[in-house]
Amino acid sequence: MFLIECPWCGERAETEFSYGGEGGITRPAEPDKLSDAEWANYLFMRTNPRGAHQELWNHAQGCRRWFGVERDTVTYHISRSYVLGDGVKD
Amino acid sequence: MTEWHEKRHGLEQRIADWTSRTGFTISVRDDLGHLNLRGDLGSPGFLAAAEETIGQPLPQAPNTISDGDSTIFWLGPDEWLILTPAEKAANLADQLESSLSNQHAATNNVSGGQIALTLTGERVREVLAKGCALDFHPQVFTEGRCAQSGLARANVTIGSIGGDNKFLVIVRRSFADYLLAWLDGVA
Amino acid sequence: MQVNRLDKGGRIDRSKPLKFRFNGKSYEGYAGDTLASALLANNVSLINRSFKLHRPRGIIGSGAEEPNAILQIGKGAHTLPNRRATQVALQEGLVARSTKGWPGVRFDIGAINDVFSRLFSAGFYYKTFMFPQSLWNLYEDLIRGSAGFAKAPKKPDPDRYEHINAHCDILVAGAGPAGLMAALAAARSGARVILADEGTEAGGALLRSDEIIDGRPATNWVETIATEIRGYEDVTVLKNSTVFGYFAQNFLTITERTEGPIRQREWRVRARQVVLAQGAIERPLIFCNNDRPGVMLASAVSEYIRRYAVLPGKRAVVFTNNDAAYQAALDLHSAGATIAAIVDSRRTGAGDLGEQAKAAGIPVMPGHIVTNVSGRKRVTGVKIATWDGATEGMVDESIDIACDLVTMSGGYSPAVHLHSQSGAKNAWDDSLSCFVPGEAVQACESAGAGNGRWSLRDCLEDGARAGKVALAKAGFDMPDIAVPAASSQAVKPLEPLWRVPAAQDPDRCPKQFLDFQNDTSVADVRLAVREGYRNIEHVKRYTALGFGTDQGKLGNINGMAVLAEALGMSIPEVGTTTFRPPYTPVSFGVCAGESVGELYDPVRKTAVHEWHESSGAEFENVGQWHRPWYFPLPGEDLDAAVARECLATRKSLGILDASTLGKIDVQGPDAVTFLERIYTHNVGKMQNGRCAYGIMLGEDGMVMDDGVMARLGDNRFYLTTTTGGAAAVLGWLESWLQTEWPELEVYLTSITDQYSTIAVAGPNSRRLLHKLSCSVDLGNENFPFMSVHDAELAGIPVQLFRVSFSGELAFEVNVDSNHALPLWQTLMDAGEEFDITPYGTETMHVLRAEKGFVIVGQDTDGSVTPIDLNMNWMLSKEKDYLGKRSLSRPDCLRTDRKQLVGLLSEDNTTVIPEGAQLIEDLSAPEPVPMLGHVSSSYMSACLGHPIALGLVAGGWNRKDEVVYAWAAGCEPIRARIVSPVFYDPRNERQND
Repeated sequence: MFLIECPWCGERAETEFSYGGEGGITRPAEPDKLSDAEWANYLFMRTNPRGAHQELWNHAQGCRRWFGVERDTVTYHISRSYVLGDGVKD
Repeated sequence: MTEWHEKRHGLEQRIADWTSRTGFTISVRDDLGHLNLRGDLGSPGFLAAAEETIGQPLPQAPNTISDGDSTIFWLGPDEWLILTPAEKAANLADQLESSLSNQHAATNNVSGGQIALTLTGERVREVLAKGCALDFHPQVFTEGRCAQSGLARANVTIGSIGGDNKFLVIVRRSFADYLLAWLDGVA
Repeated sequence: MQVNRLDKGGRIDRSKPLKFRFNGKSYEGYAGDTLASALLANNVSLINRSFKLHRPRGIIGSGAEEPNAILQIGKGAHTLPNRRATQVALQEGLVARSTKGWPGVRFDIGAINDVFSRLFSAGFYYKTFMFPQSLWNLYEDLIRGSAGFAKAPKKPDPDRYEHINAHCDILVAGAGPAGLMAALAAARSGARVILADEGTEAGGALLRSDEIIDGRPATNWVETIATEIRGYEDVTVLKNSTVFGYFAQNFLTITERTEGPIRQREWRVRARQVVLAQGAIERPLIFCNNDRPGVMLASAVSEYIRRYAVLPGKRAVVFTNNDAAYQAALDLHSAGATIAAIVDSRRTGAGDLGEQAKAAGIPVMPGHIVTNVSGRKRVTGVKIATWDGATEGMVDESIDIACDLVTMSGGYSPAVHLHSQSGAKNAWDDSLSCFVPGEAVQACESAGAGNGRWSLRDCLEDGARAGKVALAKAGFDMPDIAVPAASSQAVKPLEPLWRVPAAQDPDRCPKQFLDFQNDTSVADVRLAVREGYRNIEHVKRYTALGFGTDQGKLGNINGMAVLAEALGMSIPEVGTTTFRPPYTPVSFGVCAGESVGELYDPVRKTAVHEWHESSGAEFENVGQWHRPWYFPLPGEDLDAAVARECLATRKSLGILDASTLGKIDVQGPDAVTFLERIYTHNVGKMQNGRCAYGIMLGEDGMVMDDGVMARLGDNRFYLTTTTGGAAAVLGWLESWLQTEWPELEVYLTSITDQYSTIAVAGPNSRRLLHKLSCSVDLGNENFPFMSVHDAELAGIPVQLFRVSFSGELAFEVNVDSNHALPLWQTLMDAGEEFDITPYGTETMHVLRAEKGFVIVGQDTDGSVTPIDLNMNWMLSKEKDYLGKRSLSRPDCLRTDRKQLVGLLSEDNTTVIPEGAQLIEDLSAPEPVPMLGHVSSSYMSACLGHPIALGLVAGGWNRKDEVVYAWAAGCEPIRARIVSPVFYDPRNERQND
């Protein structure tokens, strides 16, 4: 069970959080202007890296805030969590 | 307010039975009303208007409680839970609505949707630890701290208030039966 | 008679004799015994039969490593399978049974497998039961019947289990000398400490030793230290507690076998720092018939003698490749046994202990090996050969020695299981001939024998060091802690002896067992190599080496060495298999903890629940909610009750508790902008006080949730979600607000529990509300369909919605949940003249299906677009909304997509099973093309015939076609495709 740091509430057990998939994916401003392939790329394609992964997590049982987490998909090491919009810290 | 609680009489009898057995005390706090307040601390005037209306500070530090005539829990960077005497809750909700009417804010009276329980006794921290992954060490979960978390399989707001081994646990009404049954089991 | 019990000594309480039964016979032991020590005291040497070959087996070890004495403990519902006798504390009345052997462990028909053991080589099951494939199910039943280690109880577990979460600065696993030193350091520094040990008391290997610490017996030192540690306020000492799992971010799990009302407790520990001090496990030596009862590990022999005052044999041969076994010889000797010989494969013999053995007159045979064992159900003797140190070739086993005990030691392997579970690698240490913990990847330190430190002095020092390092990392000051004085003997190094040469070829000689629990022998591993296996993980799966509850405690290193030899590689090149949790078996009971029975999952109840209960409702689970399913009158079944409820609602008045709907309060200046992006319809065009049916799509264009939403003010909305979707929808909305559109000023608050929702439906619903002095005009002009008003009903403030999920004239009443029960009762009383009829979810489903209203999650499954549901009218062309772009993807535009249709069985009487597949042509060759499936199906009392909804490929162009609905176990049913709206297609009733 991971220990995840909520940028507001501090370190909490994984059971308080829900996972929101890969972070940093921006919804296209004008979807109508995208080709099917471009839309499919936004919709379905993810980087799925071996190593550092930018993720979205929601402190669902806590303050209900969404935030960013950088987690290593091999070692499970969480190197940082950050408020969205603050950009990537460090 | 009373009808529901009269209907829970059997449950309270059960609570009384196991209280005497285990030295772990629990009471249903039907004397408290519950307000949920949302607002933007960065918005000029919000904090002043809210605090003046409530008559006490809003806790701004995460996981803390402001105690006074009301007990205010920090729930998130823009969200608070105000526990206030039940008979005053509706009034306070109306006052907040009007004093914050020119703000981006939201007040919801959720007195009917939540149940507050007071848990006391020497074993209270141990009992909580059986269902919650938070650290309840007396030097960690000190008086005036609060947190939202899971207790058994219910979402709860937990605060240490009014004494060393005294906790308020707030749970959604629909989960109250389950949570009391669980407390009965583990305590 | 405890014939093997020594007259004095041991840590048992002779004043407390305990009676127990094993395989139906009564025995006696003492408090402080394990089941294993008590069995040995009673000279019970044949304990079990082996897994595959049904060979007679006895006790080999004294702890978690025991591979044979895995017994069934207790009877009936209390029975516990898979318990090691070496770890079961003896109790009065304890009942234990062998888990293998039929009809009994002494005469076991399955032992025939051993006679034909050459047939049962590695991969036997894979090879033999391949063909014909159709018989595999039969084979599997037979194999499973004869395999396995125990029986699961058939009745619900009557015992109680619990979980407890704990946090600490330092978790120390193991209370041997190293663990005690680390825990002492941590405790003295004021840290929060948990010290867990799987034994009944602290001390570890010191409990079987005669070592001196600070000038007094080691066990005295243990007592002093353990008492001091227990005295600190923030220290928790757990005995009978196995640290069985090490997970990410220093999360560890411990099972505590408790005394008292709780049978077992699972500790879920988050530790800032961990000290791993679980010690080391002695390795067997690999000679022919090394599994015969009476062949034991040297450490176990010492432990039975010194800790339990049990002498496991009268005449022993000690076989070793290192100094440690000499201690067992000395212990045997001083307990009165005859040592026929110490057979030492090293030509150099031993160090200090060797001198002591000689001084005691024990014959030592350096440069010799034990090649074979005689005796079947008990050792009767050994064959011995001289040896020059080379493993190649066959040896001449010319010496015979009679004995009833063979004590063996192949050296020690650190118990690296937890270290490995933490994600770290283990490193081969050539000088120690074992794997030691490699570099840690989590906040942990290994210490003591578990870190490859063999002598007591080294263990104490290493424990103190690990404790200090962990403390420093956790931010504590170093405590003042002196390492006590302990002796350190001159030791001659171990000489590796991975496979003892035999008098025959290694593939032809009697079985040399590597893994006793899984019956894996040297020949099996060599066969695997001959058949092409190269990787240790593959060999493990082919031969079962290190499988199951054993997790390679005894056999892994020897097995790897034998594999390395066969492959011509070195041991580190072969590498280790992955150790997985749990370290020892964990019962399902403690995994479940308190979450059993009524606490298995939360049962959510509405504020009206008690009325439903006292009115005899039958309930069904919807998500976590317990909802009334139907309200049977005496003698009514589901069908009869639902027919009555449906007719009453359509004819006059029904009442439904709809409180479980998810409810969300939306406030903020950007509420309209936000909801426009979420819903498919034009939210901005809604006037205050109006409601709309809204659907939300995923970005893939598929229907995700639906519900009525209402505009309560310029900047305020009220949304409802499906019962099961409430939490997910709120999280979904918040994710868009917070991650994609943080500039929007909108607050979302869940008010699901705050308001109870009571639906009154039917032609008399308006009259009912009117009767209760409703404070607003309920006429069509003031209160048209799809509008909302604040009101008072019988003096209770409510919010009234004129919406309908039944197609009838209907209202939904939102009321503060504190007033829900009295309002419900008031409505029931007032409705009596209209024959008001409470109905449950089943009737609700029938009524809506008659109208062709879908239920998200029943008629949709995440692959259905609103177009497939014929909801194009809800899709705004004037704005963007989530999922809109996907609706023009080529796949969503296909005309042969599965589309929502109605279905009528041709015989007008058969209710088609829900989930039935729809096919076109009964005679079509397999695989038969599936047109779709039936998603909802009911008997409609109002229409007098069954109705169904389904999704059919190109269904709208198939109107009036006949298809076949086919469900498992049923005859195909002819069904005609029709419109999904069966009742009041012009919606006259709800607008009435």
